[in-house]
Amino acid sequence: MTRKVKTMQSHPVIVGVGRTKFGEHYEKQPERLIEEAWLKASEGARIERKDLKACYLSDYFLPITNKLGLEEGFLSELTELHVPMEVTRSFSSALLNACNAIQARRYNMVLVGGIEKMTDRWDKIRDDLMLLEDPWSYYAGCTPEANHELMLRAYIKRYGITNEDLEKLNLALAQISVKNHLHATKNEYAQYQRKITVEHVLKARKNARKPLGLYDFAPISDGATALILANEESAKKLTDKPVHVLGASSATDYLTFPAREDMTRFVVSEIAMKNALKTAGINLWDIKIAEVYDQSTVMEMISLEDLGFCERGRAWAYIHESCKDYKGYYELNGRKLFVNMNGGLKADGNPLGATGGAEVFEVFKQLRGEAGERQVKNDGKLNYGCVLELEGFGTKGYVYILGRN
Amino acid sequence: MSSEPIERRVSYLGDRLRGRRCQICGKEYFEIRDYCGKCGRKSFGKMGDIDLFYDKGKLEVCTFIDKPTNKFTKLGNYIYGIVSFHNGKIRVPGRLTDHIIKDNEEIDLSAFEGRNVVPRFRRRYSVGKSDVIPTISLAFTFADEYYPHQEYALMKPNKKYDAPGIVGYGVYTSKFRIRERNIERSVPFIDEDAITASVEAGKLALIHSGVNSSLVGKIYVGSESNPYAVKPIASKVAQVLKLGEEEGDMQGVDAVDTEFACKAATSMFKDAASLVSYPKSNIQYVMVIGADNSQAAPRDCPGGELDLFVGYGGCAYIFGKHDVIAEIEGWYSCTSDTPDFWRRDGEPYPMHGGRFTGDPAYFKHVRKAAKKLMDRLNLKVEDINYFVSHQPNVRFPVRVAKELGFKEEQYSPSLQVAKFGNTYSGSSPVGLAAALDIAKPDERILIVSYGSGAGSDAYSLITTNQILDKRERQKLTVKYQADNPFLEYVDYTTYRRLKLGM
Repeated sequence: MTRKVKTMQSHPVIVGVGRTKFGEHYEKQPERLIEEAWLKASEGARIERKDLKACYLSDYFLPITNKLGLEEGFLSELTELHVPMEVTRSFSSALLNACNAIQARRYNMVLVGGIEKMTDRWDKIRDDLMLLEDPWSYYAGCTPEANHELMLRAYIKRYGITNEDLEKLNLALAQISVKNHLHATKNEYAQYQRKITVEHVLKARKNARKPLGLYDFAPISDGATALILANEESAKKLTDKPVHVLGASSATDYLTFPAREDMTRFVVSEIAMKNALKTAGINLWDIKIAEVYDQSTVMEMISLEDLGFCERGRAWAYIHESCKDYKGYYELNGRKLFVNMNGGLKADGNPLGATGGAEVFEVFKQLRGEAGERQVKNDGKLNYGCVLELEGFGTKGYVYILGRN
Repeated sequence: MSSEPIERRVSYLGDRLRGRRCQICGKEYFEIRDYCGKCGRKSFGKMGDIDLFYDKGKLEVCTFIDKPTNKFTKLGNYIYGIVSFHNGKIRVPGRLTDHIIKDNEEIDLSAFEGRNVVPRFRRRYSVGKSDVIPTISLAFTFADEYYPHQEYALMKPNKKYDAPGIVGYGVYTSKFRIRERNIERSVPFIDEDAITASVEAGKLALIHSGVNSSLVGKIYVGSESNPYAVKPIASKVAQVLKLGEEEGDMQGVDAVDTEFACKAATSMFKDAASLVSYPKSNIQYVMVIGADNSQAAPRDCPGGELDLFVGYGGCAYIFGKHDVIAEIEGWYSCTSDTPDFWRRDGEPYPMHGGRFTGDPAYFKHVRKAAKKLMDRLNLKVEDINYFVSHQPNVRFPVRVAKELGFKEEQYSPSLQVAKFGNTYSGSSPVGLAAALDIAKPDERILIVSYGSGAGSDAYSLITTNQILDKRERQKLTVKYQADNPFLEYVDYTTYRRLKLGM
């Protein structure tokens, strides 16, 4: 006799989000940052700490950079909670575990938090980053920036981009940075709330004598983000504007970048997006807003291709066209896509373990129409958004599809 | 602090660029994989060892590093990229070495990409003075520049000789030079030292001789600039060059460092020859290396007078009784306790009193050893085609040759000090190599080394027919390295910085 399992489509619901400003917070203990984020999220969700049945915290290397003990311990001290707590390395991995737990009906409400405080270890952070990202490349002399540049070189070669097209591609990458800085001027939490110009980006590249310069890369940041995730029943009691996690997926790739089969894409993004769309049961172009992981301008460009928003080898052309007279969105094959409305990692900041939280924060606010000055002006209703977060240099990829219905 | 186990594992893989190939699907891995990711469980036990050490790679893509991570800051800036081997079947990260990028130089990455590169054994990055020195061969130079790619083609031995002799040799000096007072001296790149020069020289000797490295039963490395006071260079050479039978992660070879100032290597020639001749030693070949990043105090400090003459380089000889290119006819050594030049433990630079340098030291010992050997073998000056002596400067070797009655055509071919500087333990061995590079069969070479402290070794060698056959196997001859279009000249400040290392 086979047992019939009743599958009920029940999505985890985000009921509140919170974050700190990203930037340098040398005066603050790391604990203060996560406290600020989770208090804001709880306030937004109108919950009390005793409602939390578990906590999922993420940080990439906080105990190394800040000489801290077990993160779960200080979270327990802050919340006076003795519930199960787990720590992973990216906000997205914490969120994925939280989603799984909610869907398994293990808990009805959990806290997902992310924190990083990188500026405390300013002098050694690039060595730390590189060693975690890809040790063999580090041994050979790689820097956290170099892999992005190699990916760009490989991309240019693969698609035979030369002359005028190459100039356009280089401009498009600069325009990505300019656009993200522009978006960040409307984001009170962003690390860099100032406009830059294409000339700034190009000059930095020229000074560095490299394909990418200072303005092509996300900064080193401190910050924390948090959200409250609940099951549908609990969420109903708290909010009439729920944001559902419709699709959540992740994929994994080799640690050593040169050993990967294709150096012109992040296969993890591609796989995660496909699976997330399948679970969400929506079409790609139902998505109107995307927060992508732009550790560099190259990553934003390639992510548009990885996620399927445009064909391989052409993202730069669409970006270049869209940014000539920028209207607040990219036009990809005649369709609008709002990308990195918070300023992206480039201008909003990139405190690794907290970064994914800022991406989710943005899509949450946009879908609820609460993004204030940044609120996108879509023709129809803004129903779906997606978030892409990468861990390492594309060693892990997470995609979340968030929706209002 | 470094972790010795991590260091051991990283350099074990990285020095030799060891990997595995799946014998089912052919997929290759840079690392020792017990099974193939593609073929899964059925590939257990079917992974074959490969290494990229003697291979030629291709620089696929690259970029410019203007802000290295902390451990690489002493390199300044450099080109870093991805290198593929075996038609793209395997890709590794790599740094372009031996390449100085000037401050105002325009960088065109496409001029680098697509070119063939050769893996080079170098220091990996800087560490504290008391740490284990990290090494790696994920450093590359262009195959169409100073250091060409050469295949390591094994030669089946076909002739056995009665007397032992030299089976093959290799000379390595860097591509950097300083030119002062009419002499040129080789300067190491910042990631080079006596260890890397020893490995390079040994590698070139294996290539030249065609000897299977697993048949080398003993390795001696003579140096006075080993960056370690305690820890042999020979163990690194044995591991990287896979000398002796491989037994798991160990090599079935006896490895030892020797020290006697500039005669640390030549002193072992007779030991090498004796070992391969002793019937019960079971040793077919012995390698002797002399290599130095010759030390000298800065010019205005005590001992600084040496700074005008010191060079960098290594020279390796393989001794055996098969396919010999020069048989050893005889030798003579002499020693006296003469303190003409010394370096105390813990001191970075040698001292040079000045009182004993010439007559009571160099000339006395070289003359004595040369004359004694010639007497013993009943040789007259005209029986000798090439005379080689230790070359601490330009004047000494010429004067001693003349005093012994040699004519310019006998001693000048081996004079290399004006090209490379004094390479200390590698000095007279490089001179010998220069003679072997051009000698015809059945010619006699007399080499007399000198080591401060003091002593000399004299050897008489007679070339064989096989010297000509093997000559084609080596592109990196002494002349090639002395007069090379890719030599790069540096100023005094750069020379001191490079020599100090990373």
